Amino acid sequence: MAGLSLKHIYKVYPNGTKAVNDFNMEIEDKEFIVFVGPSGCGKSTTLRMIAGLEDISAGELMIGENVVNDMEPKDRDIAMVFQNYALYPHMTVFENIAFGLRLRKLPKDEINRRVTEAAEILGITEYLGKKPKEMSGGQRQRVSLGRAIVREPKVMLLDEPLSNLDAKLRTQMRSEIAKLHAKLGTTFIYVTHDQVEAMTMGTRIVVMKNGFVQQIDTPKNLYNYPGNKFVAGFIGTPQMNFMEATLLKRGDEVDIDFQYSDAKVTVPYSMMYKARPSYLNGKEKVFIGLRAENISINPEVVKNSKSVIKVKVSHKEELGNQTLVYGDINMDGDGYTETSTRIIINGDGALDYKTGEVIDAALDLNKVHIFDKETELSILPRIPEYNYFDCEVKGGKISFLGTELKLPPAIKCEDGKKELLIPTDAIKVGGSDAEVTVVSCDEINGKQVLSFELGGRRAFAVVPEPVANGKVKISIDLKKISLIADGAECVAAMPEKVKFEGNLVKAKVTEEVEVNGKTKKKKAIKFLLNIAGYELPCSDDIADKLITAMGVKNAFSDKLIYECSPYDLEIAEKGVSAEVTSVADYGKELFAICKVDGNEIFVFTQNEVSGAVKLLPDIKKLSIIQADKNIRII
Amino acid sequence: MTKKYRSKKAVERGTNAAIYIILIIISILWLFPFFYLIIQSLRGESGIATAYFFPKEWTFDNYIKLWTDTKDYNFPKWYGTTLIISLVVTVIQTTIVLITSYALSRLRFKLRKPLMNLMLILGMFPGFMSMTAVYFLLKLFGLTQDMGLVGLILVYVASSCMGYYISKGFFDTIPKSLDEAARIDGANRKTVFFKVILPLAKPIIIYTVLTAFMAPWGEYMFASLMAFGDQSYYNVAVGMKAMLDREVINDYFTRFCAAAVTVSLPITILFMWLQKYYVQGVTGGSVKG
Repeated sequence: MAGLSLKHIYKVYPNGTKAVNDFNMEIEDKEFIVFVGPSGCGKSTTLRMIAGLEDISAGELMIGENVVNDMEPKDRDIAMVFQNYALYPHMTVFENIAFGLRLRKLPKDEINRRVTEAAEILGITEYLGKKPKEMSGGQRQRVSLGRAIVREPKVMLLDEPLSNLDAKLRTQMRSEIAKLHAKLGTTFIYVTHDQVEAMTMGTRIVVMKNGFVQQIDTPKNLYNYPGNKFVAGFIGTPQMNFMEATLLKRGDEVDIDFQYSDAKVTVPYSMMYKARPSYLNGKEKVFIGLRAENISINPEVVKNSKSVIKVKVSHKEELGNQTLVYGDINMDGDGYTETSTRIIINGDGALDYKTGEVIDAALDLNKVHIFDKETELSILPRIPEYNYFDCEVKGGKISFLGTELKLPPAIKCEDGKKELLIPTDAIKVGGSDAEVTVVSCDEINGKQVLSFELGGRRAFAVVPEPVANGKVKISIDLKKISLIADGAECVAAMPEKVKFEGNLVKAKVTEEVEVNGKTKKKKAIKFLLNIAGYELPCSDDIADKLITAMGVKNAFSDKLIYECSPYDLEIAEKGVSAEVTSVADYGKELFAICKVDGNEIFVFTQNEVSGAVKLLPDIKKLSIIQADKNIRII
Repeated sequence: MTKKYRSKKAVERGTNAAIYIILIIISILWLFPFFYLIIQSLRGESGIATAYFFPKEWTFDNYIKLWTDTKDYNFPKWYGTTLIISLVVTVIQTTIVLITSYALSRLRFKLRKPLMNLMLILGMFPGFMSMTAVYFLLKLFGLTQDMGLVGLILVYVASSCMGYYISKGFFDTIPKSLDEAARIDGANRKTVFFKVILPLAKPIIIYTVLTAFMAPWGEYMFASLMAFGDQSYYNVAVGMKAMLDREVINDYFTRFCAAAVTVSLPITILFMWLQKYYVQGVTGGSVKG
């Protein structure tokens, strides 16, 4: 019984293919995690890395308290169930189940007891004397499950265990595996390409595509709050409808204008508070995502709805419990091919629709999802990154929504009307910048998302601790805000990360070692991190990770990028040479703006500094990235 | 009007008959020399060839003399020497071949492909090309003539891993997930090989054993070089060739035939016994195991 922790896990093959990219996840004890995605998305590779059947190129994998990157599969205390069962054909069912226990040299009585118990749980007691080839697929998979559970592992890994079974058996085994999980209370990690399996079994689901994690969430949240278009389309049958559209803000309303169609609907602006204003200019293309069940063609509903569009029916699919009506919002569209105007509606079985007929459909826009056309990310994220307000700058002061703040000397800006972007993590409870009314505070993916009223408008903040509803005072970290005038950024937020370039260096040194009271000279190899010209000694542990990830051949030639926060740099006697160009005064804090190799770097400082300085990074807080492959190694 | 059809059964019967007739003719052609050999070995009259096919006098004398009359030609000793060599070579070669092919089938290391290509190319050169050089090397180490047994075993075993091809093909058909399942169950590579893979590889083990046994059993060239004319170091092939020397062939031809039958016996028995596995082994690469 144990949790798992995956930190910046990468799988890179020798030919440069990245199968898994920056996989980060904390899995708690007793969770049922499902990795789901189309073939080739890296889900099996991730599972095999957890099992120890594949090497981890970069990153850190922990099972319980132990880092297991270099551990043999047998020492990781995991069990795995394979798609093709992988039963030993020359052994009986009993021997198959007992194999692992025998290798671990358990006493005979104990083996007998455990095998019998497992066989009883799985209902295969009568087959114990048979060979696998005498059994059906479902029975074989049960044996394979038995082989895994007798070992009483910390983590159970299941690699598409039901894919070789027929549909009926699959449904049955699905509930049996869920039952087994409830009974054993072990952490399960389950890989499947079937979204139904994922939705029905997982406590949390990891949706993957092309080696990247798309979203990690509970089945319900994935369905209700998909983070991007891929997740929205992958989860749920029939697939979510995606229609291309533009959004135009007119006062308190936003027009949704569907492309390649005359359809147009209007929603209140309050729905779009989380959206970046540039999406609402009537030009930027977005995808409107709406599930079939959120579109109605029931005449009663249509009559009472304000958002009605015309749909030309092409054909329908009778599924018994529901009727799917296929149509097109473009009157020239055919409704068969998947285009950005095709629409699938959960129709009424009692009504008859003829091909070519134009009908009215009511959209339930409270359930709408909107995605950027290029990035495919939701423009209304569950955890918003920014608050967007209109503001006015005048005489070194900024005013928005009835709040007026003095701008620090570092923020220089011409007077006038502008757009203000306040990151949700720049707002802290406490302080005296403004008084707001907290409406709700929800925990979303481990973060406390605060929703509050400020000057009659809804705004958001991400805070560390839950906050009770009611009036609270907040403070705004002004170094994180940015201001936009006429579509161009006129004040940029202070960069959160400082970047340096360099590489890993190997140096031969002669050390003086004391042996039996005598000092002897001993040659040793030391590793140094070349950070923009300064060589910082690093531990063998860090060097090991770098060399494993980059390969011995490239370890000392490949370019590295070092990242840390401005607070993790110290102005010291030794370090990276830099030239202070100016000092930014953010009121409470001072930051020296330095030039290193032509790059601008912010450094936190207590006092005014100027001229040439040395910057010493805190090696414990340094992230190291292999530049050309974009792999975060540390 | 209905067209007349020949019944399907009749057609089948006809084809079968034709096939069997052809097969019978071929097997007669193949078996005839062997049959002739057996008959000659039972002939009482001496001499190379007779003008008649069936001997006038039937006798087991040739066999008895072959095994007891060791004055001129020590057949029992040759037979023993060859048997020892073959058995030792079989054990060593089977082990090496199986281990090599398992490694090439399962492990992924940098030189895997180059190594496999190298072995394939080296295998294309006939073995006797290097014979003289190898002979002088062995002589240098004193591994010829009286130590020829060891020398020959070394020579036969030396290139055995080059025979990895067929067994690698067989191992490739055993799903890798079996290895993986066993490794997760707590086995190391060695345990996986001996407890999971080998029990499934019976056909290929038998195939390897048979081929490993046959090569030194009938080998002539190197053995004759190693003995360098000294009869006591002959193996059966070299010894039997000596029986066919012009000076003695008249007296020894029937005994030679008896020797030939004796030599072919173990292999024949082995083959008949292990036939079904052998076929599985050869075709193992194409049929899912």
